[in-house]
Amino acid sequence: MGRFRLNSCANSLIALALVVGTQSSAATDDAIKVQLDAAKTGPRAVEPLTQKSIVRDYRGAWNSMAAALESNSAQPLAGPFTGEARQWLGQSVSSQQKSGLSRRYSDQNHKVEAIFYAPEGDVIELHDTADYQLQILDRGKVIHEERVTAHYVVLMTPSADRWTVRLLQSVPQF
Amino acid sequence: MRPLLRYGVVCLALSLAPAWAQDITAPKSAVAGEQVTLSIAGSGKATFYLIGPGISNTHEINLGEEIKLRGDVLRTAGDYQVVVCGDPCKSATFYVMPAKPFSISFLVHPSRVPVSQSDAVSGVAFPFDQFHNLVLAPVPISFQLASGKASLLNKTETTKSGAAWFRTASSKSAGPLQVTAAFQDISAKRVVQQVASEPCNLRLTGQRNATGILVQTEPVHDCSGNPVPDGTIVSFTANAGGVKSTVDAPIKKGIARAQMDANGAAVISGASGVVMGNELHMGAK
Repeated sequence: MGRFRLNSCANSLIALALVVGTQSSAATDDAIKVQLDAAKTGPRAVEPLTQKSIVRDYRGAWNSMAAALESNSAQPLAGPFTGEARQWLGQSVSSQQKSGLSRRYSDQNHKVEAIFYAPEGDVIELHDTADYQLQILDRGKVIHEERVTAHYVVLMTPSADRWTVRLLQSVPQF
Repeated sequence: MRPLLRYGVVCLALSLAPAWAQDITAPKSAVAGEQVTLSIAGSGKATFYLIGPGISNTHEINLGEEIKLRGDVLRTAGDYQVVVCGDPCKSATFYVMPAKPFSISFLVHPSRVPVSQSDAVSGVAFPFDQFHNLVLAPVPISFQLASGKASLLNKTETTKSGAAWFRTASSKSAGPLQVTAAFQDISAKRVVQQVASEPCNLRLTGQRNATGILVQTEPVHDCSGNPVPDGTIVSFTANAGGVKSTVDAPIKKGIARAQMDANGAAVISGASGVVMGNELHMGAK
């Protein structure tokens, strides 16, 4: 019983540390570089203010994803992600919790092209060429590290106060 | 004796040392939900890691044996990283591509639309496989719009990067517009309610009664002859000797009615939206 209490106490402390860690990493949101090119978007043009919102929220989503997969906490995913993206990211977190693995994304650069913006502005498709440092850790020990250039197809939809990532699907190339 | 001892030590060391994970042979790409076989050269034991979208697991393996990854762990399209740690760790990446289209996510706007409006109805279709991966290979999506028995649109658009869309005018008749996006035996249906447009003509009639003037419209229609929906506001204005009074009345059963207070001669007009009705010249009581 005492051990259980100790464990639960330790868990609470870890959870608290994760939340604090998430908040502090949220503060370093600007460290993730996102460039958006919406010059060829159709059929609807992306207004400058909308472009700013998308850059802000896409950067926030990657920041949250990195925090979630490094700390193995699903809490940062609530808000920036919805639908399928939220589901597989949540599964990734719970799967990592079971296996003791974690992922660390750092030094992120995203070159994003808006390629489709629906006529009524209710969904936007982005192509992101992402460049980042990826570490895979087994119980805190780095077992693999590499510089990754990855391609992502992204669907974002507007919600009450932000653009949320509904689909984040990596592809070999565009 | 010494060389023999040295040989024995080397043999012992080799037999105890973990085997090296050599090359990992993985398919360049696989299909979501289908089994994948990996082969990892070498001998002895090693730790196998699989990290991908929605999956992260690890277990011990015997090098040199085939590793079969079940389809149910490869349901999400994307890149999967295989890391094998003997001494040293080796890695490989393979992609899981979406399976064939299974459903269509179909967004149609708006839900209510006035009749005879150009570019008023639009729709976007995204084909997904049975594991909810966006199908990025070109898929011909057939868009069909029908109002009653009349076909309004029937065209096929091939998806580009997973999206196909259309935009068209609403029909001339009020009523439900059936909108369908289909690919082979997969379809998604939506309904857009087409409502009458702005009133086209307002014809006013009026008569004096004990309390003033009862003014009403004839049945209000749009320019295509559709009855304007109940609840649409008609504003009646009475100008009696330079004094103006206005009453807003909703259309009920196609007609708007209002009781105006005017004992003397009055000019009464009516308007709904941008449409003005005829003027009524009512004499004094």
